[in-house]
Amino acid sequence: MSTRRKIALGIGGVYIFGMIAIVAIFGATRNDNAEFLPQDEFKLLTWLDLPGPMDLNKGVLYLFLATALTIGVMTYVSKRMQARPNRVQTAVEWLYTGMRDKIVRDNMDDEMARKWFPLVCTLFVFIWISNMIGYLPLPVNSSHPFNLFGAEIPSFQIYAATANVSIPLVLALIVFFSYNVEGVRAKGLWGYMKSVAIPPGVGGGILFMIVPLEIMSQFLRLISLTVRLFANLLAGHMLIQFMAGGLAVLLGLEVLAWFTLPAGVAIYLFEVTLIAGLQAFIFAILTCIYLGSAVSHHH
Amino acid sequence: MGIVIEAANVLIAQADTPELYGQQAGRAIALGVGAGGGAAGAGAGIGMLFGKVIESVTRQPEMKDEIASIQWLGFALTEACFFYGLVGGLIAFFL
Repeated sequence: MSTRRKIALGIGGVYIFGMIAIVAIFGATRNDNAEFLPQDEFKLLTWLDLPGPMDLNKGVLYLFLATALTIGVMTYVSKRMQARPNRVQTAVEWLYTGMRDKIVRDNMDDEMARKWFPLVCTLFVFIWISNMIGYLPLPVNSSHPFNLFGAEIPSFQIYAATANVSIPLVLALIVFFSYNVEGVRAKGLWGYMKSVAIPPGVGGGILFMIVPLEIMSQFLRLISLTVRLFANLLAGHMLIQFMAGGLAVLLGLEVLAWFTLPAGVAIYLFEVTLIAGLQAFIFAILTCIYLGSAVSHHH
Repeated sequence: MGIVIEAANVLIAQADTPELYGQQAGRAIALGVGAGGGAAGAGAGIGMLFGKVIESVTRQPEMKDEIASIQWLGFALTEACFFYGLVGGLIAFFL
């Protein structure tokens, strides 16, 4: 018997034994838990009441954390540039040249690329870091606190600034205004509006149908940029939460958690390795495509 | 058929009022249709996308790097359609 087969058999045995043990200890009856509200995980409770709309809550904490990490890591790496790069510097340089050549320069001319590269790169790094710290469990869930030696401690949860609709909306608004201003600057107000509303090679009566669609698609870009980022993160976090035991708590059926845990681990790995980076990449490349198409003369 | 109607009557009797029962049922249907229909559409789209990518890479292996970046762009744009359905369903379910 090979070692690999022994390990596989061992894991399978532990899985089946654990299932039997859980059923033996807790039984397999369902009793619904009405107190646990899964949507409360994403509720923003005010922690510190400051004047005006400046209240401190979970989302704001994650936003500050992501901002501090973005600025801190990038300045730290760029201040310590060496002729013989270490591993981190190599990774950051690979990211930098990749962003510059593959994402920004492919979609706009050199002068514009120099101007807009800082924004696109910052967006990418900020969204990626914000997504990544969203997968670290931190004690921020103050709607379900637990009691540790008399002290009320918020329970651990995963949350991200980008899993709230407001942060992606602000980022999308920045992109929306940037490319519209750039388009107006390149073609003039009337020329830009004409190039947005009328696709090339279209004329006659069909314009009555095309023009409203084209104008609507401009605003749908705003919605799709926002919802793509926010819904990916929110759905990923909800799936991880449910698969890692939330479903079992909700239904009061202990053995279910044992079944869903492997799926939870798989989804977690999928989200961390693929989705976090992919969403940042998509946001950055769509920014470049919109900026490039706003100034190009053939729509 | 008679058994189904009987069971539905029992369920309606268990809810507080028929209106509340209808509301809960409508919410559940909205979430199911949003998430299920979204997943079906996005699944078809992602399957077609990766099928085409495999086809084009086997025909022109030297284009692999260029196809890879477009492939992930298409994947993310298609996958987002699932989340539009899911978010619509969740909004209907919780609000």
